[in-house]
Amino acid sequence: MRNPWAQTGNYRTSYEQDTTIFATYREIASVVALLVALLVLPQLLERSQVLTLNFILIYAIAVLGLNITTGYAGLISVGQAAFMGVGAYTVALTAPYLPFYLTIPLGAAVAAAFGAIVGIPSLRVKHLYLALATLAFQEIFVWTVGRMPALAQGASIPVEMRNFLGYEIGFRNHNHFWYYVILFTLVLMVIAWRNLLRGKYGRALVAVRDNDRAADAMGMDPGRTKLMAFALGALYAGVAGGLLAYFQRSVVIEEFTLAKSVGFLAMAIVGGLGTVVGSLLGPAFIEYLQLSMERFSEWIKGSQAIQQIIPPGVDVASALLPLSFGLVIVLFLMFEPRGLYNWWRLVRSYFRTWPFKY
Amino acid sequence: MKRSMLLVGLTLLSLAQAQKTVSLVHSGAITGPTSDVGGPYAAAIEDYCKYANEQKLIPGYTLNCIVRDDQYQNPNAQRFLEEALDRAKPAVYLGYATGAMLALKSLIQEVKLVAIPASAHIGLIDPPDNTYVFLPTSSYSEQVVALLEHIAREKKGAKVALVVHPSAFGRAPIEDARKAAAQLGLSIVDVQENGGSLDNTALLRNLEQKGAEYIVHQNVAGPVANILKDAKRLGLDKKIKQLGAIYTGGNDLIRLAGDAAEGYLWASSYYTLEEDTPGMRLHRELAAKNNRGVLGQSHNYTAGLLAAAIAVEAMKRAAQRFGRIDNATFYDALVGMNGPNAFNPGFVVKTANSPEIDFTKSEQTGGEGLRVLEVKGGKFVPITQPFTSTLFRKVHYGK
Repeated sequence: MRNPWAQTGNYRTSYEQDTTIFATYREIASVVALLVALLVLPQLLERSQVLTLNFILIYAIAVLGLNITTGYAGLISVGQAAFMGVGAYTVALTAPYLPFYLTIPLGAAVAAAFGAIVGIPSLRVKHLYLALATLAFQEIFVWTVGRMPALAQGASIPVEMRNFLGYEIGFRNHNHFWYYVILFTLVLMVIAWRNLLRGKYGRALVAVRDNDRAADAMGMDPGRTKLMAFALGALYAGVAGGLLAYFQRSVVIEEFTLAKSVGFLAMAIVGGLGTVVGSLLGPAFIEYLQLSMERFSEWIKGSQAIQQIIPPGVDVASALLPLSFGLVIVLFLMFEPRGLYNWWRLVRSYFRTWPFKY
Repeated sequence: MKRSMLLVGLTLLSLAQAQKTVSLVHSGAITGPTSDVGGPYAAAIEDYCKYANEQKLIPGYTLNCIVRDDQYQNPNAQRFLEEALDRAKPAVYLGYATGAMLALKSLIQEVKLVAIPASAHIGLIDPPDNTYVFLPTSSYSEQVVALLEHIAREKKGAKVALVVHPSAFGRAPIEDARKAAAQLGLSIVDVQENGGSLDNTALLRNLEQKGAEYIVHQNVAGPVANILKDAKRLGLDKKIKQLGAIYTGGNDLIRLAGDAAEGYLWASSYYTLEEDTPGMRLHRELAAKNNRGVLGQSHNYTAGLLAAAIAVEAMKRAAQRFGRIDNATFYDALVGMNGPNAFNPGFVVKTANSPEIDFTKSEQTGGEGLRVLEVKGGKFVPITQPFTSTLFRKVHYGK
């Protein structure tokens, strides 16, 4: 007899069953429990801790987008921060005239349009050459913003929102208010991601990634699929950029540089390419690594004993973050190329069949 | 006997309890990009805080100095400021990077917290949200305009190129420089961005072709040192004179550029390490006492001392005048630092018309005087008397 709460004996015998997001009630219950926990979490944290959480959730949206372009479609993009910047600057320019629930989708649409344009080289080039094309866009974006007086030449453009439907937003509740907005957006983006990729379009992405000529022979349009992958990846980045603009109360070019794009790639790799869970775990892990290294670095600088061992002129504290960042990526690529998602999958598999081993 | 000892003990305990704590928070790039500036700056703040507590500079208060390393990352700077606001309720924020400070302006305005940044970007004290930001010395824009005035005095109608850092920090003075050059009869032949190229042959040949006689830098010392070395290698050091704003010069530039730095002109408000003023004596004393080595040789150490000294002085005045130190009394004490109450710690030059450090509600620049210094025999030597740019206010504010 089929048990709707357990995976054991729960066979997928139809196409509809095979494409369901949740196979059992237990999976639905666990997602609901996670959402409840996420809703309650900020009430248990300090305001400044909610700030870190907000950055993680915003980066998770950007990484979700990168996971469409790079994770699913296999098109390497090192311009995700620039797409995020397109969204952020669109929001900065339209925020004085429109409410945030219009400016953010507008920013996402503009970013998607840029994504489709930047994706054009993907019709002719692949792999590292394509990565270079996206790198060029990243650099052109920063260069252009730096020369546009309308965008304050990369200096700050304030993005203020003091009131939402009569609810006053100020220093004391700013982080919490934006936490719930970002969380709501993230949930929507995850649902859209799952729905998009479990259907025809998702399979087309995988087919084009694995062999675009074979996909072409089977009636898919590899060119359009690739452009859509870029546009969708950029759309997610645009949403993330718009949220970042409101959350940080301003837009400055330093948030959209090549280093940030590389950071997003690292988050996607560490989290697990092409997965929702990886898109959440990657940013959380990298942010936690950053915080840990920060504390470790402060400890090294404060420790007389350590300072005596280090040769004069050698700044270990400076090297710690890039060193740990690089090391983590290399170690993941070598020993766990499927990223943190794989650990999550193993744990989940264990509990799914519990108390049976298999 | 026992009773008297108990009384003494209780008195000491109550005195100890009467000693209140006031917090100062600094977030800067102690490591990572620009840490050559941020390292000595933060070290100076730490050293001055220790000194302030040892000397009991703030009557009835112990100074709690929170110094954090934001690694030049805006999100880190934002996090540290918010953490401090939650946990320590600081009376003043000593900020650092241009980008982070510009991004934090509206938050600073909202919480009414005085910020004294290391960045001298004019946008920080321009509206909107500028009430609580105060620059310790003249802005980058004023420094560059002053250098253009110096060039105009030296050669009428000279051709000038600007080479700036590719960031908001670098681009800050370009607009004012263009307006000032037009009024001074100078021609700006080119504006180039340079973030640290190792070979600047193309840049220099291009500027030579455009007839540039002067290059004005708004950058940090590393890229400028590379350009100076390349100019010497190409034989352009005699043909093109190079000058720069505050973060281009100092002992760091001489260390990096070696003899190629000879003849380089630098706009600085700070006294040099060799000069005998109360501030520079304190600089030498604190750097030696805290074993700061190379960090203690930098003018950025002086800059950190000045920022901390202004903060401590305002705290002291707030405590004396209002009996308490909080955001509001700190602000009132700071904007009251003018006229006979101006602050003269001996770190920066003063002109005949202006004291060393003074602030009002509308005048948010502390030290307005600066000098042009030239590298002679491996040292920066002042070649002008302290002066204030006559043109800057006209080109920037239109008055």
